[in-house]
Amino acid sequence: MIEVLWHGRGGQGAFTAARLLGAACSFADGRYALAFPSFGPERRGAPMRAFTKFGTAPIGDRSAVEQADYVIYLDETLLAPGWEQELKPGGRVLVNTKRVFADERLVGIDADGIASELLGRPIPNTVFLGALAALCPQVSADDAKEAVRQYMAPKLHERNVAVIDHVVATAGEWAQARGADVVEEPEASGADLSPQDACPDAPERRIPTLRSGDLDPAVYARTTCWDGGYLVSRNAGWRQVRPVVDAAACTGCLVCYMQCPDGTVYKRRDAQAGESPVGIDLDFCKGCGICARCCKFGAIRMVNEVAALAEERAAQEGAGR
Amino acid sequence: MAVNAKNITNDEFFYGHKACAGCGGSLVVRQALKVLGPKTVCALPAGCMSAVGFNFPQLCFANNAMITPFAATAAVLGGIRAGLRAQGLDPAEYQVVGFAGDGGTADIGLQALSGAIDRNDDIIYICYDNEAYMNTGIQKSSLTPFGAKTTTTPAGRNAHGCLTNKKSLFEVVAAHGIPYAATASIGYLNDFIRKVERASQIRGTKYIHVIAPCPTGWGHGVDATVDIAKDVVDCGLWYLAEYEGEQVCGRTGGKFTLNRNPKEFTSVERYLRSQGRFRALTDEEVALVQAGRDAKWEQMRRDWA
Repeated sequence: MIEVLWHGRGGQGAFTAARLLGAACSFADGRYALAFPSFGPERRGAPMRAFTKFGTAPIGDRSAVEQADYVIYLDETLLAPGWEQELKPGGRVLVNTKRVFADERLVGIDADGIASELLGRPIPNTVFLGALAALCPQVSADDAKEAVRQYMAPKLHERNVAVIDHVVATAGEWAQARGADVVEEPEASGADLSPQDACPDAPERRIPTLRSGDLDPAVYARTTCWDGGYLVSRNAGWRQVRPVVDAAACTGCLVCYMQCPDGTVYKRRDAQAGESPVGIDLDFCKGCGICARCCKFGAIRMVNEVAALAEERAAQEGAGR
Repeated sequence: MAVNAKNITNDEFFYGHKACAGCGGSLVVRQALKVLGPKTVCALPAGCMSAVGFNFPQLCFANNAMITPFAATAAVLGGIRAGLRAQGLDPAEYQVVGFAGDGGTADIGLQALSGAIDRNDDIIYICYDNEAYMNTGIQKSSLTPFGAKTTTTPAGRNAHGCLTNKKSLFEVVAAHGIPYAATASIGYLNDFIRKVERASQIRGTKYIHVIAPCPTGWGHGVDATVDIAKDVVDCGLWYLAEYEGEQVCGRTGGKFTLNRNPKEFTSVERYLRSQGRFRALTDEEVALVQAGRDAKWEQMRRDWA
């Protein structure tokens, strides 16, 4: 049995891809497949997983895939250290990225670029259907295309078939590419941050007492009231774009502060010269862009998250030297 | 002094929730709790805000907050108030507030709400209206407007979306003779905040009906939520009004006030066409929506202004 684990965000089509793969792998007689998603009550933009299992015997195990032959990241911000624990020996990880990795188990494909070009929108899921058809002997490109024809809306057939053809045809370019990139922590660790650590310039907000991912129920079970503060871990990996405030243009009118649905815009305590009167808590910002749109002074712009993270890393390295 | 952006508390009471990016409902909860403060107890029925606010082991409410049975929001609020009273806590200081969606208010929770108003329980009931059952994947409620596409009112060859008109719940509530009821929109946040503050100062049942667009269900950009909520007021398909009952305003039968009475409306067509859910509407149907708006405003200007 081949097992595939899809990492994506709600709305990226991870479950659609998981189903299409399952369909492609069960057309022939004597072939069986299972595809299902896993997500909580979180919404569009939240990290989620989907699973496909296929093989030549009926599949009874309906539990989540812990270790897979192929692990696919539809969003590269979800790829973090520890990724290899989800991989079976000899397995491959496919990542939607422009980066070229040093580790031979990691395969980068610029799926957003391919999808933007061929579909007109950066929806990466069928790119990876094509990539699996190229890499996995048990998946044929013809079956993958047939799955698209049978399970997607008719108007989507032609372009998605073209995506699969393109990815299979260019497999020689991306499948073996080796570079220097390695997997790093996407952002500074969120464990055990006090609110002031996370946003040192925010005014005293008597809020997040815990931002840790590893919560101990014994500690918080009886503290669900104001005195205990509330208990949330970061909404990491929800954004594709992030707001950046231009200190020179910001007048401190606080319209963005009022309109943020997540309350992540904060008034800055004693803003220094060169600092904007508002800051943004990037641990919780989902990148909706309401702040940028409501700003009459054009002081907030939304920048690509992947580019911003790369810039941050470069700045940290510069500071470290 | 009225609450505004400068003097509103820095504290956030609804934080780290798992709502979609650009969610209008979460802005309603956030701002209402910032006005009402830490000594507020919340109750929420099934709906987006309870689904995204209580993710065990995470809790996104800094206030005491609980989930109620779907139909029981107002009844639970009344029970919480009774509990606070039994503890001898001052009702002017301790607020009890419910946040229910349009389905949880106008359909499923209507009976409990009506009962609470009848008993005049000292509670604030806030209906965040995103015009369909969004939590379960966009099904029509009785507050879904004419022409909106949902999974239970799909747009096809014969029908182009919801066939019924939006129930005028504000007037249904006002007809009870409630002490205070208001409509609001997150496109006019200061107006909404003022109404929440006003509600907190009145003893008895208070009801605020606030429009809160849903990018996922309405089919608009995640950054457009607040703009769309402003546009629906500006084009006249929603209105900002208040009702004060006899016991508050002293006039027999109570008093309606129209907070915003624009000389000219912006384009209804532009508002409808900016959202995916109205995509199938024909020009004739858009004209029908506009005629409905004009009739409604004629009545409101005659009776309320």
